[in-house]
Amino acid sequence: MSALAHLTTNSDDKRTLVVVFLRGGADGLSLVVPTADENYYRARPRLALKKNGLLDLDGNFALNPLLAPLESAWKEGELAIVHGAGCEDTTRSHFEAQDLMEHGGFVAGGWLARFLRARGPSISPLSAIALSPTMPDVLSGAPSATAFQRIEEFSIGRKTTPAFPRELRRLYEMESGGLRGAAESTFGALARIESIDTNAAPENGATYDANDSFHQGLRQTAQLIKADVGVDAASVDLGGWDTHFTQELTITGNIRSLGAGLAAFRRDMGTRMATTTVVVMTEFGRRLGENTSLGTDHGRGSVMFAMGGGIRGGKMLGEWKGLTREMLDEPGDLPVWNNYRDILAPILAKHGAPADSFSKIFPDYALKPLPLYG
Amino acid sequence: MEITADAGIRRAFTAVKKTSRREFIITGAAAAAFSATLFRAAQGLLSEGGQYLGLGLSRPISQAPLAPASVEIDPVAHALNRLTFGPVAGDYERVANMGVAAFIEEQLAPENMDDGLCDRATARFADLWGEPLGEHYEEDDDSLPPILRRVTTLRAIYSRHQLFEVMCEFWSDHFNIDPGKGDCRWSKPSDDRDVIRKHALGNFRDMLRASALSPAMLWYLDGQANSLKQPSDKANENYARELMELHTLGVHGGYTQQDVMEVARCLTGWSFYSKRETRLRKAIRPRVFLRNVASRTPFTERGEVFFDADHHDDGSKRVLGHEIPAGLGKDDIERVIDIVAFHPNTARFLATKLCKRFIADEPSAASVEAVAKSFAESKGDIKTVLRTLLSTAEYAASAGVKIKRPFHFVVSALRATNASTDADKPVMQFLEKMGQAPFRYPTPDGYPLEAEHWHATLLWRWKFALALANNQIAGTRIERAKLQRSLGGDAAMMAAVLNRKPSADESDAFFKSGDGLALLLASPGFQRC
Repeated sequence: MSALAHLTTNSDDKRTLVVVFLRGGADGLSLVVPTADENYYRARPRLALKKNGLLDLDGNFALNPLLAPLESAWKEGELAIVHGAGCEDTTRSHFEAQDLMEHGGFVAGGWLARFLRARGPSISPLSAIALSPTMPDVLSGAPSATAFQRIEEFSIGRKTTPAFPRELRRLYEMESGGLRGAAESTFGALARIESIDTNAAPENGATYDANDSFHQGLRQTAQLIKADVGVDAASVDLGGWDTHFTQELTITGNIRSLGAGLAAFRRDMGTRMATTTVVVMTEFGRRLGENTSLGTDHGRGSVMFAMGGGIRGGKMLGEWKGLTREMLDEPGDLPVWNNYRDILAPILAKHGAPADSFSKIFPDYALKPLPLYG
Repeated sequence: MEITADAGIRRAFTAVKKTSRREFIITGAAAAAFSATLFRAAQGLLSEGGQYLGLGLSRPISQAPLAPASVEIDPVAHALNRLTFGPVAGDYERVANMGVAAFIEEQLAPENMDDGLCDRATARFADLWGEPLGEHYEEDDDSLPPILRRVTTLRAIYSRHQLFEVMCEFWSDHFNIDPGKGDCRWSKPSDDRDVIRKHALGNFRDMLRASALSPAMLWYLDGQANSLKQPSDKANENYARELMELHTLGVHGGYTQQDVMEVARCLTGWSFYSKRETRLRKAIRPRVFLRNVASRTPFTERGEVFFDADHHDDGSKRVLGHEIPAGLGKDDIERVIDIVAFHPNTARFLATKLCKRFIADEPSAASVEAVAKSFAESKGDIKTVLRTLLSTAEYAASAGVKIKRPFHFVVSALRATNASTDADKPVMQFLEKMGQAPFRYPTPDGYPLEAEHWHATLLWRWKFALALANNQIAGTRIERAKLQRSLGGDAAMMAAVLNRKPSADESDAFFKSGDGLALLLASPGFQRC
């Protein structure tokens, strides 16, 4: 039981968990640089980020300057960072690793979906949303989950008579299996969303990039949360991190988008950040050594961020054993010293997961939760 | 210092070079081809001007064709649901008359069936389609992927070679390339032509080999960067891993990290002349670039695949238990392709995917084994494999258990309503909302086959049904009253659209809904296949 000491449950149903997934395997070593480790500079003669110009975090690590918008969250103690984080999958396959990190084990359905079920039924059909064209696996099996890209899209159409949705609904209610459930979720969400003012501007002077789909996903997540339509969990993706080739060129825009987007969301949410947690994860990091095409290949450990929701941040959490040769994972990767479940579990507890539900949310795994809340 | 253009690829390009616009301009030697092109274009313009507006592509419907008579999906309707992107008016009668077995054979031999309506629908893009890749590089950055999406959609809607188009979709997912990545925006169309469509009903090993050295794949999975300048360099593993994980063995197919690294070593040195020989690429292959400039015109070389022996790791390798001796050079790739294409786990992996496409999301082990056996015994002959699959008891018993993916749904709705469409942006936007525009899947694993991934798309299916039924999609037009009349009334139209007789509840909802046709297309019955 002592291992689970950092799990304190809180069943406040106004809390929202926002899961940001960096798809493609983000190079954690470029996001949060181990400036005190000479091995990093030796392994990346061309790609390593020079110490000066970085934003020092604790003397050992520094933020990529493109993440400067996150510095205030760090200084105010709302941002926690865990390096050498990831999952136990060793295939270095995007799909296997994403699969494992979204499913939370070798089970059907996603961990976020199982968390929502463990919390008990929600009255809101918008309990779980994905700001994406298709439903991510992390929400597969959720009691109700809806994927969309723009709130405004969310209506059948103004010109239909009431008879049309009524008759349509009647036919779907006669169905069995997946189609029936899908239709139930859709009709429920349609009714709920009509109450939202989609023109509401961001608060507190926050600015999102109008042309950045990640930013627009966060903006609309904030709108839905603030409209109190009962969003328990939101999934927002930021893709394009698979930097085998000319990494610096391909990764710069993504890092900028990540930092500016998260900072805008935090500002826009204002005091609601106290009940909103943002967690940022990726399927794996990149190999420590750069390859000959100025890129990095699939590795193991990367970095995870957790922000808001009462997190006691401003410090690096978890294990870090250094990048010496004998510490590295074959064939030369930053290892996974911190399993993603140990970062997620305390957050899920804070968001109301019952203490006895963790064996269902993360089956076959002995949790060692990190002290995210002090 | 040998640089050898791959002979097969070179032949393929030579074969289509006669339609090159630039060669005509430069040498004036392609007059015959050009005048044929001009003739085709003029013919298209004069007789079918409407195609440029997406009009005039509807099919003639014979008065009151035979419609399904059972509320259950019968074997004829089942074949049409699974082997096509949905029936058009008259299909049911035609297949009922010829028999399902003859229909399958007809569909397995598309080369014997003319395809006039589809040719007309895509005529304006035909020139582009015939050109070698080097010519495609002349196009603007964003011009080719939308054309590729559009042509693919038009073919699915209008082609009589329906099973062929279904298989092209299957292989496009299997060998997925997102043309949004760099050079792929120019090279994906020729990949579609020379890999996917060329081999869709051919032999798997041939398709795999073509894919391995397709410029678009060499770019998409970084094969072109897999090059050893000096002995200490490490191979780029990206393609090697996906070759085994996604294209052949499957992720649990028994390969190791060591195998990935060894396959990557085998494939070092293969590359192609891309649209831009950037400064970085010059730095990687200075000698190749200099030779290119010095002795060959970059224009004719662009898109050409070559093997650079200097940058190949020619040591011995061990792949999945097979020794590959040192010194094989460009033959390494043939050994690798043979090893993975004929591996028993590849047969099982491909059989599983095909069964998921044609039988059910969770096919039985017996069906998968039967299809895998056929795959192995025929050495990957795709027609043989499909015949085996379609003769399983599980296929016959699986009517209606599958849910159409969004592309299938949209195309089947357009076909069922005898729509004239240009498949331009308004249609594509609907497909994007449903998350399945062709060639828009961002990672190499391709659109998922199973229904659960598509449950969140219902709202957009309903909106599409309403928009189509009410002619609210620009560039797309249906003749609702004419359709109802020529099919023989409401009951016959319901049976034709659903591909079975409607239930009493469906019929009741059709009349009460205020928009019967839209309701049918939006109904759960039309999502099934």
